[in-house]
Amino acid sequence: MSILTYILGWPLLAALALAFVPRDLRVVMRAVAILATGLSALLALKLFLLFPGAPADADGYRFVQQVPWVESLGISYCVGVDGINVGLVLMGAIVAFAAACCSWEIKDREKEFYILLLIMTGGILGAFASLDLFFFYAFHELALVPTFIMIGVWGRGERRNFATFQITLYLSLGALIALAGLILLYLDSGANTFSIPDLTRHIAEHPLPPVAQKLMFPLLLFGFGILVSLWPFHTWAPLGYGAAPTATAMLHAGVLKKFGLYGLIRVALPLMPEAAESWMSVLSWLCLGNILWCGFVAVRQRDLNLLIGNSSVAHMGFAFLGIASLNLIGLTGAILVMIAHGFLAALSFGLSGYLYQQTGTLDMNQLGGLLRRLPFIGAALVMAMLAGCGLPGFANFAGEVTVFFGAWKVFRAVTILACWGALIIGAVYMLRAVRSILHGPLNAEWPQVADAANPWRKLPFALLLASLLVFGFFPRLLSDKITPDAERIIERVDSPYGNGNVCLPGYDGAAVLTAAALELRVETDHSP
Amino acid sequence: MKLAFLPWLILFLPLLAAAWIMLFTRANRCRSAALSISAVVLGFVGTLTFVGANGFHPVQPEVSVTWLAVGGLDIAFGLRLDALSLLMMLVVTGVGGAIHIYSWGYMEEDRCFSRYFASLSLFTFSMLGVVLANNFLQMFIFWELVGVSSYLLIGFWYERASAADAAKKAFLTNRVGDFGFLLGILTFWGLAGSLNFEAIKEWMDNGIGFGSTDPIIVQSGLTLAGLLVFCGAMGKSAQFPLHVWLPDAMEGPTPVSALIHAATMVAAGVYMLSRTFFIYTPDALSVIAWVGGFTALLAAVVAVQQNDIKRILAYSTLSQLGYMVMAVGVYAPSAGMFHLVTHAFFKALLFLGAGSVIHALHHEQDIWRMGGLRRRMPVTFWTFMVGTLALAGVWPFSGFFSKDSILATAQHHSPALFVLGAAVAALTTFYMFRLVFVAFLGPERTSEASHAHESPWVMTWPLRLLATFSLIGGVLGIEGLLTGFYDPVGSEHPNGLAAQVFYPFAHAPVAASVGLASVAAGFLAAHWLYRNVAEDPLPARIGALSRWMRNKFYFDELYEATVIRLQDTAATVIDWFDRWLVAGAAVRGTAGVTRLVGQALRLVQTGSLQTYTFLFVLGVAIVLFAVLGR
Repeated sequence: MSILTYILGWPLLAALALAFVPRDLRVVMRAVAILATGLSALLALKLFLLFPGAPADADGYRFVQQVPWVESLGISYCVGVDGINVGLVLMGAIVAFAAACCSWEIKDREKEFYILLLIMTGGILGAFASLDLFFFYAFHELALVPTFIMIGVWGRGERRNFATFQITLYLSLGALIALAGLILLYLDSGANTFSIPDLTRHIAEHPLPPVAQKLMFPLLLFGFGILVSLWPFHTWAPLGYGAAPTATAMLHAGVLKKFGLYGLIRVALPLMPEAAESWMSVLSWLCLGNILWCGFVAVRQRDLNLLIGNSSVAHMGFAFLGIASLNLIGLTGAILVMIAHGFLAALSFGLSGYLYQQTGTLDMNQLGGLLRRLPFIGAALVMAMLAGCGLPGFANFAGEVTVFFGAWKVFRAVTILACWGALIIGAVYMLRAVRSILHGPLNAEWPQVADAANPWRKLPFALLLASLLVFGFFPRLLSDKITPDAERIIERVDSPYGNGNVCLPGYDGAAVLTAAALELRVETDHSP
Repeated sequence: MKLAFLPWLILFLPLLAAAWIMLFTRANRCRSAALSISAVVLGFVGTLTFVGANGFHPVQPEVSVTWLAVGGLDIAFGLRLDALSLLMMLVVTGVGGAIHIYSWGYMEEDRCFSRYFASLSLFTFSMLGVVLANNFLQMFIFWELVGVSSYLLIGFWYERASAADAAKKAFLTNRVGDFGFLLGILTFWGLAGSLNFEAIKEWMDNGIGFGSTDPIIVQSGLTLAGLLVFCGAMGKSAQFPLHVWLPDAMEGPTPVSALIHAATMVAAGVYMLSRTFFIYTPDALSVIAWVGGFTALLAAVVAVQQNDIKRILAYSTLSQLGYMVMAVGVYAPSAGMFHLVTHAFFKALLFLGAGSVIHALHHEQDIWRMGGLRRRMPVTFWTFMVGTLALAGVWPFSGFFSKDSILATAQHHSPALFVLGAAVAALTTFYMFRLVFVAFLGPERTSEASHAHESPWVMTWPLRLLATFSLIGGVLGIEGLLTGFYDPVGSEHPNGLAAQVFYPFAHAPVAASVGLASVAAGFLAAHWLYRNVAEDPLPARIGALSRWMRNKFYFDELYEATVIRLQDTAATVIDWFDRWLVAGAAVRGTAGVTRLVGQALRLVQTGSLQTYTFLFVLGVAIVLFAVLGR
C-alpha cells in the first residue's frame, strides 16, 4: 500500500473508531483526534522527505497505488503525488494536526465535532492525493459537507445562520458547476476513464475539439473559482470564516479552499490548453478584483476575523495571477503561494480563535494593548500579520515575488497594481490590526486575558510559524520539486505568452463563450 | 581568497543572537545583552581580520548560492565583497557596536531589555544583508527586513500610542518607496534578464537587448527604471516627499535613533544608490541631485525652529542625507559614501550625547528646559561639541572633508546646487550652535538641569570613541579608498596624513573657502541670536514663517488630507459595494432562483396517486424510448 493511503486513511479510521467511544471520555476523543492527525502529519513529512529519491512512473507520479473499482465506467481508487501536490499534502496534514490541537475550545457535542473534523481531514488529504477524477471530486465533497455542519452547529456570532446559508449555497453551486464540467470532460474525452494520468495521456494524443474545450473550460474556471472565492464570487468567504469554529476556519481557509486552484492546475490547464489561453486575460483582471477590491474591503473591517477572511480572499488573487500568467515561473509561484497561504491562514485563524476564547470579542475597537498580556500569542500574531503583508523570511514572500516575476512579462499593468495591493494595501490593514489589537495602552476591560502557557496550546502555532519560516528561508525545498512537473503542464499549454512579450487585450475571453455557442450551432447544422 | 567563511559568519551571527535571545534567554537580561553585543563586536573584529587578510579588494569579489531557481528566474543569495561593502561593514559593525554597548547603560531599567537587544541584533543582520547583497532581489529582501526591524524598534514602547503610530507610519511610508523599488527591479530583470549587479552592469555597458534601437526610447526607459529604483532610496533615506516618517521615528529609544540615523536604515538608501550607480542615466541623476538638494534645504530650514533635542538632530539627519543623495546625483557617489561614513561617526555621537542628556534629565527633551549642562556633564558636553563641529564642517574635523568633497563636485557640475549646498552648510551650523548655546551653555533653566549627573562609563566610553573618529575620520584614507573604487585609474587622492589634511585647499580652494565661510556665517548668526537668551527670539522676528517651520511646512496635514483621505474613501466606497451590492444581490439572486425552482417543483407534488403513477410511467416510457428507440 502506498504511504498516501495511510496518510488519508488514519484520520478516516480514527473517525470510525471515535463512533464507538462513549461520549463522556472527552480526553480520549481529543487524544485520538490529535494522534491520528499527528500520525498523518508525520507520514506526510516522511513522504515529503522521501519524495526526491522515490521512483517516478512515466507520467511523473510517485507513490502511486491503483485499485480498480467500477471498471465499466473506468473508476478506480488511485493515489499518487508529483511535485505539484506533494507540498500540498504536507501542508494539509500539518494544518489538520494544528487544527485538531486548537480544538480545545469545543465544549459541547465533542464526539460529533471530532468525528466531523477527522472526516474533513481525510477528505481534504484524499482530494489532494487522488489521481482519479471521481475520487478527487468525492473526497472534496466528503470534506465540504462537514464544513457546513460544523459552522451551523458550533459556529459563533449573530450572523451564523446567514453565513452557513451563504457558504452552503455558494460552495454547493461552485462544486456543482465544476462537476458539470468534469462530467462533460469525461464524456467528451471518449477515453472511458476517470484516471487523471490516463485522461491526460489520451488527450495528449486526441486533443479535445476547441469547441468542447471552450464550453468546458469556463465551467471549470468558474466552478473551481467559486470554491476559491474568485472575485466577484467571494462574499461567502469572510462571513463564513467569521462564523466558523476555529478548527473549521483553519482547515477550510488553509487547505480545502486550495482544492479549486489545484483542480485548475491539475485538470483544466493541461486538458484544455487552447481554451485556457483565451481565458487567462480575463482571469488576470478578475484576480485584481481579489487583490485590490478585497484588500480595500479588509482595510475597513472592524472584526479581526472578517479582516483575516478578506485578506485571505485577497491572497488568493496572487495564486490566480500566477496561474493566469501561464508560464513556468508564474505557475510555480502560484503553487508556492497556495502552500504558504495554507500555513498562514491556519495560523491567523488559530490565533484569532485563541483571542476570541480569551476576550469573547474580535471587535478591534474594543481590544488594545494586549501584547503586554500575551507575549507569545501576540508575537505570533505580529509575525502572522507581517507574513501576510509579504515580509521576506516567510514563505508567502517567496511565492508572491515569484508570481510577480512570472506575470511581469505577460500582464504588466495588472502586475503593477498587484504589487500595490501586496506592498501597500496589505501592509495598511495588517499593521492596523496589530496597532489596534496589540499596541497602544492596555484596555482595563481585559484583566483576565492569559497567554498560552501550556506547551500543547503553543505547539500548533509554533509548528505553523516554523513551517512558514522554513519554506521562507529555503523555498527551494518546494520549488525544486514543483518546477519539473509544472514544466510538464506548461509544455502542454504551449503558451504564446511563455516565450515572448506578447500581451493580449483583456476582454477577448468574455466573447469566447458566445463564439463557442455559435460554432456549436454551426456544427450541429452540418451534422448528417 | 583567505577566510572565505568569515563574511557568512559575520552576516549570520546577529541573526543567531536574535533568535537565541528570543527563544532561550528572554529572562536573563545580562546574557541577552552579552549575546547581542558580542555578535556585533565579533562582526567588527571579523571584518577587520578579513580586510587584514585580503585587503579591500579580494581576488574573488563574489560568492553565491542559489536561493530560488525557476525557469528563467534565478535568484541567488550571495555576498559581494569589495571596497564599498567592506567599508560599510566596518561602519555598521563598528558604529553599531558602540551603540550596542551604550544601550546596555541606557536601557538598564527597561522591562523588555531582552526584546530590545533581540531587535537590535535583527536590525544589524538586516543592514549587513543590504550591504553584502550581490543582486537586486537579495537587496530587496534585506531592505524589507530593515523596514520591519525599524518597525519593531520605533514601536518598542508600543504601549505609548504615539510610538505605535510612528512605527506604523515609518513602515508604511517605506513601503511606498519599496513599491517603486520592486517595480524597478522587475523592469531591470525584464530588460537585462538578470538580477545580479555585475551582470546588469555588463548589460548596460554593452547596450545589447535594450528592446529598441531608438536611443530616445532606450534612454527614457532606462531613466524611468532608474528612478523607480531610486524610489526605494527615497523611502529608506527619507528624501522628499517620503521624508515624513523620520522625525516621528524619534519615538523609539534614543540609541535606536542613533542606530537608524547613523549606521543602518537611512544609510541603506545612499548605499544602494552608490552600489547601483551604474544604472542611472544623466537625466535620472539630475532628478536625484535636485531631490537631494531640496531635501537638504527643506530639512535644514525646519530644524532651525525645532525645540526637541532629538527632533533637531533628526532634521539635521534628513538634511545631511539630502547632501549625500545630491552627491550621488552630481556624479560623485564616492563623496556621498565618504560623507555617509563620517556622518555615521558624528551623528551617532550626537544622538548618543543627546541620549546621555535625556537620561540625566529623566526623559526631558525640550532644549529650553535644559541649560548649563557644560559644567554638570563635561564628557557629554565636550564630545557633543566635537560632534557639532564635525557636523558643521569645521576644519580639521571629519565632516569638513566629506562636505568639502561634495561641494567641490557640485561646484564642478551644477553651480546652483553648489550655492544651495553652501546655504545648507550655513543653516546647519546655525541650528547646531543654537542647540549648543541653549542646552549646554548659559544658566540652568530648570531644577532638573541643575541636578543633572554625568552618565555611567558604559555610556561615556562609546562617546569618547565616537568623538575620536569624528575628529580623525576625514584623514583615515577613506576618501582615497572610495575614489579608487569608482575610478581605479584616474584617482589621484593622496595617502599621506599631512597631504590629506590639506588636500581640500590644494584641490578645490574655492569650495573649501566657501564652505568655511558658510560655517563662520552660521556660527556668528547663532552667537548673535542665541547667546544668553531666555526664550527663542526668532518667532518674533520672522513671524508666520517660524510657525510654518515649527509645523514642518504642514506635510503631515497635507498627506492626511490628500493621499490618506483618498485611500480611505476608496476603501469605504468599495466596502459599501461589497456589503450591499455584491453580497446582497448575488446571494439573494441565487437564493431567489432556488426558491422559484422549489415553488415550481411544488406544483408537481399534487399528492394525487394517479398523477404520480402517470408521471412514473411516462418517465419509464421516455427512458425506454431513449434506449431502444434508436
